[in-house]
Amino acid sequence: MAIRCIRTYPDPILKQLAESVDKIDDSVVAVIQDLVDTMVNSGHSVGVAAPQIGVLRRVVVVDVSKSKLGKDCNHGLLEMVNPAIIEKAGSRTMREGCMSVPDYTGNVTRAEHIVVEFNDRTGQLRVIETSGFEAVAIQHELDHLDGLLFLDRVSSLKTDLYRRKAK
Amino acid sequence: MNHFALTIVGRDRPGIVSQVTEILFNQGCNLADSSCSILGGQFAMILILGHPEFTCRESFGDAFKPLEDADLSVALRVLKPGGEIRPHIEGELCMISVYGSDKPGIVYRVAKVLGDNKVNITDLNTKLVGSEERPVYVLVLEATLPEGIEEDEVNTWLAPVRDELQVDISVRTIPTVEL
Repeated sequence: MAIRCIRTYPDPILKQLAESVDKIDDSVVAVIQDLVDTMVNSGHSVGVAAPQIGVLRRVVVVDVSKSKLGKDCNHGLLEMVNPAIIEKAGSRTMREGCMSVPDYTGNVTRAEHIVVEFNDRTGQLRVIETSGFEAVAIQHELDHLDGLLFLDRVSSLKTDLYRRKAK
Repeated sequence: MNHFALTIVGRDRPGIVSQVTEILFNQGCNLADSSCSILGGQFAMILILGHPEFTCRESFGDAFKPLEDADLSVALRVLKPGGEIRPHIEGELCMISVYGSDKPGIVYRVAKVLGDNKVNITDLNTKLVGSEERPVYVLVLEATLPEGIEEDEVNTWLAPVRDELQVDISVRTIPTVEL
């Protein structure tokens, strides 16, 4: 259990493919807990993927329940091992920012509704259907497992990318 | 570092970007923000660039002469200190699409409503599409709304323009999220 440092681009780990988890052992549970601790500690984060804390394994956590946009439609804290999106529908654009790409935001269009399957920390296979902000957050975190940043998804509009106000 | 705004316009052809940027690179310029696009048959480049020593137009000497010889228009503006820094604009982001059969005044009427209501347009593109007999005008802009203003209010402001010009207008705010 620890709050880990968030890796920021151009750290090469953010562009690498994360490996599937074969077996949920203590090391995986520890990664899940570190992700949760790191997310909660940041105060405003709604999700963290393992590569962001330097671990190349397919594990993410998402929790949009405390955010204004996600509070009406969410599954609470989601701890996802080997997550995969099995259905997608619709599209919506949000201006995304990412802790691993500080100071920038960009317009990204993603699926509005998704069905995602994953193993929880006990190894139980779960399938959930979600939409809106939670769906966007899950897609953003899953991209991290494939070495993709929102910068890879920014559409071609001229001013899609903005430098965010320095905090 | 002093900063400059450089604009270059000329008939589109392959190689303009490389010719321009080669000159800037050889002069020791740093490119910061830039936007380059084909507009009609013209290629237009707008670049904010910095240079550690150059202070004025004359500093560049005749570096741009090859561009002018290649029939490109070149204009250089010397920025005042800080002119290269994008200000932070508070308020909700908003995309507005306006389209309809082509007629004079679409851009002006929409921009006037937004400007009068203190909406800050940060990007605007227009295109004439459709067929020659039935030209359709499309305007897409991105803007920052004043504090406390929401989508519905912008729709209300634009409703008279929509009715008068017989165009379709859609306004949608884009939430900013940190993930």
